[in-house]
Amino acid sequence: MSFSNQRDNKAAQLATSSGAIVHPWYSLAKGDYDEMHNSAGIVRPHWNEFVQEMQELGIQEVERRHRELLKLLRENGVTYNVYGDPEGNNRPWQLDPIPLLISKEEWLGVEAGLLERAELLNLILTDLYGPRELIRKGLLPFELLYSHAGFLRACDKVRLPGEHQLVLYAADLARGMDGRLWVLSDRTQAPSGAGYALENRLAMSRISPDLFRNTPIQRLDRFFQSLRAGLNAIAPHQVENPRIVVLTPGPLNETFFEHAYMAAHLGYPLVQGNDLTVRDGYVWLKSLDGLQRIDVILRRVDDSYCDPLELREDSRLGVPGLLEAARRGNVAIANPLGSSVLENPALLPFLPAIAQHFLGRSLRLPSAATWWCGQPREREYVLKNLENLVIKPVNRGTGKASVFGNQLSRQQLAEWRERIQTHPARYVGQEHESFSSVPSIVAGGYEPRQAVLRCFVVACPEGYAAMPGGLTRSAPLKGDVPVSNQMGAMSKDTWIVASEPQADTSITISQPQEKAGSRYSSALSSRVADHLYWVGRYAERAEGSVRLLRTTVKKLYNNPDHTNSSYQIGIFSLLRSITHLTHTYPGFIATDDDKKGDLVEVNKLLDFPEPELLSIALDEDRAGSVAHTLRSLFQASYAVRDLWSADTWRVMDELEQHLDSPNPLGDISLWQMQEHLDQRIATLSAFSGLVMESMTRGNGWLFLDLGRRLERALLLISLLRSSFTSSQSAAVETQMVESLLDTSDNLICYRQHYRNYFELPSFFELLLLDQNNPRSLAYQVARIQEHLGKLPRDHMDDKQPSMEQQLAQEASKLLGLVELQALLGVNNRGERLNLEQVLSRLYQLLISLSNTVTAAYFQHGQVPYPLSASRSN
Amino acid sequence: MRYRITHTTEYNYPEMVGLSYNEARLLPRHCTHQRLISATLKLNPLAADYRVREDFFGNQIAYFSIQQAHQKFAVTATSEVELLDKPVLPGFAQALSWETVGAMLIGQYTPEFLEARQFILDSPYITATPQLAAYAQPSFVPGRPLIAAVNDLMQRIHEDFTFDPHFTDVATPLATVLQHKRGVCQDFAHLAIACIRSQGLAARYISGYIETLPPPGKVKLVGTDASHAWFAIYLPAYGWIDFDPTNNQLPGNQHITVAWGRDYGDVTPLKGVVFGGQQHQLKVSVEVECLESCSH
Repeated sequence: MSFSNQRDNKAAQLATSSGAIVHPWYSLAKGDYDEMHNSAGIVRPHWNEFVQEMQELGIQEVERRHRELLKLLRENGVTYNVYGDPEGNNRPWQLDPIPLLISKEEWLGVEAGLLERAELLNLILTDLYGPRELIRKGLLPFELLYSHAGFLRACDKVRLPGEHQLVLYAADLARGMDGRLWVLSDRTQAPSGAGYALENRLAMSRISPDLFRNTPIQRLDRFFQSLRAGLNAIAPHQVENPRIVVLTPGPLNETFFEHAYMAAHLGYPLVQGNDLTVRDGYVWLKSLDGLQRIDVILRRVDDSYCDPLELREDSRLGVPGLLEAARRGNVAIANPLGSSVLENPALLPFLPAIAQHFLGRSLRLPSAATWWCGQPREREYVLKNLENLVIKPVNRGTGKASVFGNQLSRQQLAEWRERIQTHPARYVGQEHESFSSVPSIVAGGYEPRQAVLRCFVVACPEGYAAMPGGLTRSAPLKGDVPVSNQMGAMSKDTWIVASEPQADTSITISQPQEKAGSRYSSALSSRVADHLYWVGRYAERAEGSVRLLRTTVKKLYNNPDHTNSSYQIGIFSLLRSITHLTHTYPGFIATDDDKKGDLVEVNKLLDFPEPELLSIALDEDRAGSVAHTLRSLFQASYAVRDLWSADTWRVMDELEQHLDSPNPLGDISLWQMQEHLDQRIATLSAFSGLVMESMTRGNGWLFLDLGRRLERALLLISLLRSSFTSSQSAAVETQMVESLLDTSDNLICYRQHYRNYFELPSFFELLLLDQNNPRSLAYQVARIQEHLGKLPRDHMDDKQPSMEQQLAQEASKLLGLVELQALLGVNNRGERLNLEQVLSRLYQLLISLSNTVTAAYFQHGQVPYPLSASRSN
Repeated sequence: MRYRITHTTEYNYPEMVGLSYNEARLLPRHCTHQRLISATLKLNPLAADYRVREDFFGNQIAYFSIQQAHQKFAVTATSEVELLDKPVLPGFAQALSWETVGAMLIGQYTPEFLEARQFILDSPYITATPQLAAYAQPSFVPGRPLIAAVNDLMQRIHEDFTFDPHFTDVATPLATVLQHKRGVCQDFAHLAIACIRSQGLAARYISGYIETLPPPGKVKLVGTDASHAWFAIYLPAYGWIDFDPTNNQLPGNQHITVAWGRDYGDVTPLKGVVFGGQQHQLKVSVEVECLESCSH
């Protein structure tokens, strides 16, 4: 992006100090309501301070900060998964540097309205799963409740302790042209966005600390304290330090980042359905240290997916028996199962009368005008005015998005009319108004964009509490309505500010918090252990393959000597090792039963290895390729996203960014690839360094390092086997020793010990037996033994070594018995049979060790399935 | 009339099942014309957790979970009930037209009417499509008494449809049943209910047992009975009246009610979720014994 200076200067003039707009592009149509300017183009008082700040910064600086903001979010891995997105699952979060400002005076009213609405919805929820007085008194139409997919009959009469059944509540608010704020919809099942709002705030305060110093903005922390207090309060049996988990559908979910972020922020373990089990009517976390009882579940799984026994039997995300445990009051789920019944837009027109009934007054925050087609007069109205309304289905779900009547063709309108007439009770019509606009940054300046504000409320013992502000979403294009993040909306921070500068009275009051680091929070679920083990293995595998590729490429291009036959043989040997190491067969390997044609193919590949090497490096669809291994590494890390420090994740993100850039290397040659391979190695080293430095040495680290050590040992064995089990001339073997030392990053170390003379016994001494060389096999086996000794065991007899310990012991003993001269002995056919025997035995031992560890610790993967039911005849 | 029912369900797994969670609706409920004398559920292996409660529709529902490894799992429900004679329908109730009943159903807010009203709406297994409404239409001629209309519908289903235990399974949609005119009691009950609901009337699904009599001159074999399903309609000021479209009869004192709901999904006799086990085999046997004052 480059702009002429003149344009920049113009754009920098957001507003003059006198308050009048000079920016020619910030054009508002007559009658539009803008959050920053009044109809006369004067900046509203509560924006004054901010506008001045922005003016002083200038547009260039604001744009620079915007770029920094996006970079920061990207590095922090803030994403929103978009289903069916061609660019892959994780879309970076979009944040506009211009927040939405709301004056403190106005906010007081909004806040009161939100709390009142939460109170009302809580009473409705309690009634609908209780006495259903609203139905009996005719305040809610019978069909509206009984036909709604969210009315889960199995949840009838299930209650949380205390008066609050609705624990979390979110409302989407928008301002109409008349300046009033309206509620567009209520979110009552597992509202998302509070975590994004917090992340937005933190990112903003990092790039614009100056703004935060000068503008008194209400802080968000108290909301999260209330959330903690609220979850503590619903714990069953009045447990004092309840064990709380966040239940997520997993990394494929659109808001998985937020689940991981909230879990990490609140200090609760992030779990998936398979991590939990119901025994004896209680819910337990399957941790490596055994079962740990769970008292409260903050759920981000849709209610009907939470229990395959009583709700959707095809769900793979839930926990069988969960609803029964909740029914008995042994676990509290927030929000309770069944609360999606309130996410029915058809409720909106009935709220005023219900508010009168329950609260004796009308609501402070009105709902957008809505007509339920289940009623004849309302249906007539909707059918008549369809082109001016938003059509919303009463049940949420895939393929059930809202439809804007003004975007439909004549034909489509007719189809919708028919659909509504066939199943009138399934639809509502909602008034479609333009919303107020906020200034948003677009290339080189500011433009008005319509915005919707999502507000958050949580129940705590003292009553409902609202987050001051919320998550603002603005439309990507002029005149558009911000629909959802799925559709590419932009997010904004939301500031509640005083019109006049004043001391911030809302500084956090520290509350007594439950002790962090209690035993359960360190509990590692076996699924997480499994992921970490594979993070270790993939990281090492990626590094090993990249190193070998780099050595080979260097040798091929840096000083090729094609006339020298030992050079050729050395290259061929390296190429074959690559195939072995990466398991990308057949590749450079010709097997005994290959036909003649295949042999010709293989020889051609050996002579012109470039395309095959590029494919092994870059072809993500090819199992074993570097790109494939890196993708697996990223996925395994992402699945345990909540465990990584910000710095560690930044490194992971760099990896993914490289993977995602379309065809990262284009048409470049292998020779140019060296630099890229160097980068990969640097990134992977940074990752392992951070893991070493910043990960606490708990079970999680043990499994990660176990995976790493085991993989390193396996790769080394594979390299030695493919290079030395048949003997070559001294010249060739010298070359191979040098190459392998380079690959294993041992060249310097070797030279220090043995000068420049490459000979086999000292090479094997260093790589196989040297206990002090962190790249040697003996070193890996010693670490594996050490780690195995520290892993939790629930066997009866702890004194007996476990199966996996026995295997490691045998490997260690085998290495201890090695006598190098005998090991490297060559028979008359030129084979090193002893070497082959020892290496293959070690390989077998380590593979069985991996299988035993998997069986002993990672058996979480069993998927529940429904029994077939008998049929009546 | 007194009956003892023994209903055994057995699952066999080729591999070990570590955990199993189940819900059984096998314990008969109390109802106007049926007195429950005793009902027990025997589980093998034993459940680690067992509890009985009432579900949304007032049925007895047993929740249990097996926490020990097993390859075979058997549930035996044994119950004794006494069926009471049903009074003859009063003349005015017989004469109420189906349109009158439909209008009454949506206009009143007494608990009884509200209870009945949920059975007018579509439910997960039953959607009253225009095709089903069209099939129902000849039975629901204007002004006809509700009882007569439903009787006619039942008779037509009995004549038009073939009993075929191999054509459908639990998940076969009603449209297929209607198209091929084949199915079992569950399909016929669903079909009839859909037809009745398509006219704005209330109908519910009943799961239970029926005593089957051996062919003349033969001895009755143990375990040859099966669980059965039929439906009931709501007649204001009187209550629910049962119809059995499979046998084209008004259930008298041979139909034992276990549970009712909107459709099969609400009253599945036994369902479960297991970990492990792989493909399982299911074996079911039902025996209905007449204990006293039986006519044969």
